[in-house]
Amino acid sequence: MRVTIFDYGAGNLHSLAKALDTTDVSLAIETDPVRAVETDVLVLPGVGAFGAAAERLASGRGIMRDAIQRGLPTLGICLGMQLLFDASDEGAGEGLGVIAGRVTRLNAARVPQIGWNDVTPVAGDALFASAPLSMAYYANSFVCRPTDELAVAAWTTHEGDRFPAAVRAGNTVGLQFHPEKSSAAGVQLLHAFLKTGVTP
Amino acid sequence: MLTKRVVVCLDVRGGRVVKGTSFVNLRDVGDPVELATRYELAGADEIVLLDISASAEERGTLLDVARRTAERLFIPLTLGGGIRSADDVGSALRAGADKVSINSAAVVRPEVLTESARRFGSQCVVASIDAKREGSHWFVHVKGGRERTELDAIRWAAECVRRGAGEILLTSIDQDGARTGYDIELTRAVSSAVDVPVVASGGAGSLQHVCDVFQHGGADAALVAGILHDGITTVGEIKDAMRRVHLMVRAA
Repeated sequence: MRVTIFDYGAGNLHSLAKALDTTDVSLAIETDPVRAVETDVLVLPGVGAFGAAAERLASGRGIMRDAIQRGLPTLGICLGMQLLFDASDEGAGEGLGVIAGRVTRLNAARVPQIGWNDVTPVAGDALFASAPLSMAYYANSFVCRPTDELAVAAWTTHEGDRFPAAVRAGNTVGLQFHPEKSSAAGVQLLHAFLKTGVTP
Repeated sequence: MLTKRVVVCLDVRGGRVVKGTSFVNLRDVGDPVELATRYELAGADEIVLLDISASAEERGTLLDVARRTAERLFIPLTLGGGIRSADDVGSALRAGADKVSINSAAVVRPEVLTESARRFGSQCVVASIDAKREGSHWFVHVKGGRERTELDAIRWAAECVRRGAGEILLTSIDQDGARTGYDIELTRAVSSAVDVPVVASGGAGSLQHVCDVFQHGGADAALVAGILHDGITTVGEIKDAMRRVHLMVRAA
């Protein structure tokens, strides 16, 4: 199975690459958004700022969006999840628009949220059913606000603000937390996505 | 709800983990990669690798240590020591750090915090502050605690946050290595003055000390080192003690 991480700039991909690089995976790290979609599973990693990432995405935005909407299994992590949405208050530029909604600042006194917080899956989500995870590591100032709550696969709360810990649209999953930093249970979730994410 | 974090600090010099008292009298305690992964298994919420090398030659090994650690560690890794510029922050992140702590360089040129936050996001910019008490005030010290500045630690913490720091790593020089408890007053003063997480450091000698800095100091995380390296207690025992006083913690 070909798994490709779209590298859109600054950031630490070591742990993510190591976690995804299992025996039956051929892992690639690709900086070109058009070439990145020539894969079996696409991963949008999670470090950086929305504006800069949207700029790096711009030249291949339409092609990547089409590939995802045709069913390319895609996992967006943190900022990568936010890129699945239309736009963000954090910076200019367009997201992929695969999930309708906007990214806005966390409505809390302590921002960024840094640390381990709950993950409360919505009943019946296949990914969390196969790899249970109740707590994960977050490091974010912005959160996704999907237009339709049916897109939410798991919730979490920071202070009084309830927001999606995970979203899903078909084969595409977005995670606000960092599975590659959430110890053994997080790594198992990544492996589960590689398995279940590919089946419709 | 966010849990309270137990952060394990490994002081690294020349590629080895060492431990000293008040920044001097260093002893070798082991290999950083081995120790970091062992502490993850034990339930640590984060690892900090702090380079306390005296020379550039010793320092050269840190990015390599970070790289080898990041490939085996699946909890957050913070890198600190000798970070001078946003470019240095970039190198540390590329080597495998999730967060980078900046100490002396921020005092010399506070813009480094803003530049780093703009390029990489506040969530990875940690302002590391070494504070020493003088009467009812605390003054910021730099260069591994050796040089006093005129900066008031509490005001300086607030300024670091204004300039882009997403977290404060607050070390009490008076308490560091003494094992008589964290500086609760200092931690409380800083955690009340800023709206980003505060990691309290310096002074852990018992389970009670760790619980105290959360309950009375308002810390979001407690940094521990010596009491773990010397086998006085374990991460599991610390978390059990925290649970007993109704602090929210992550199960290992």
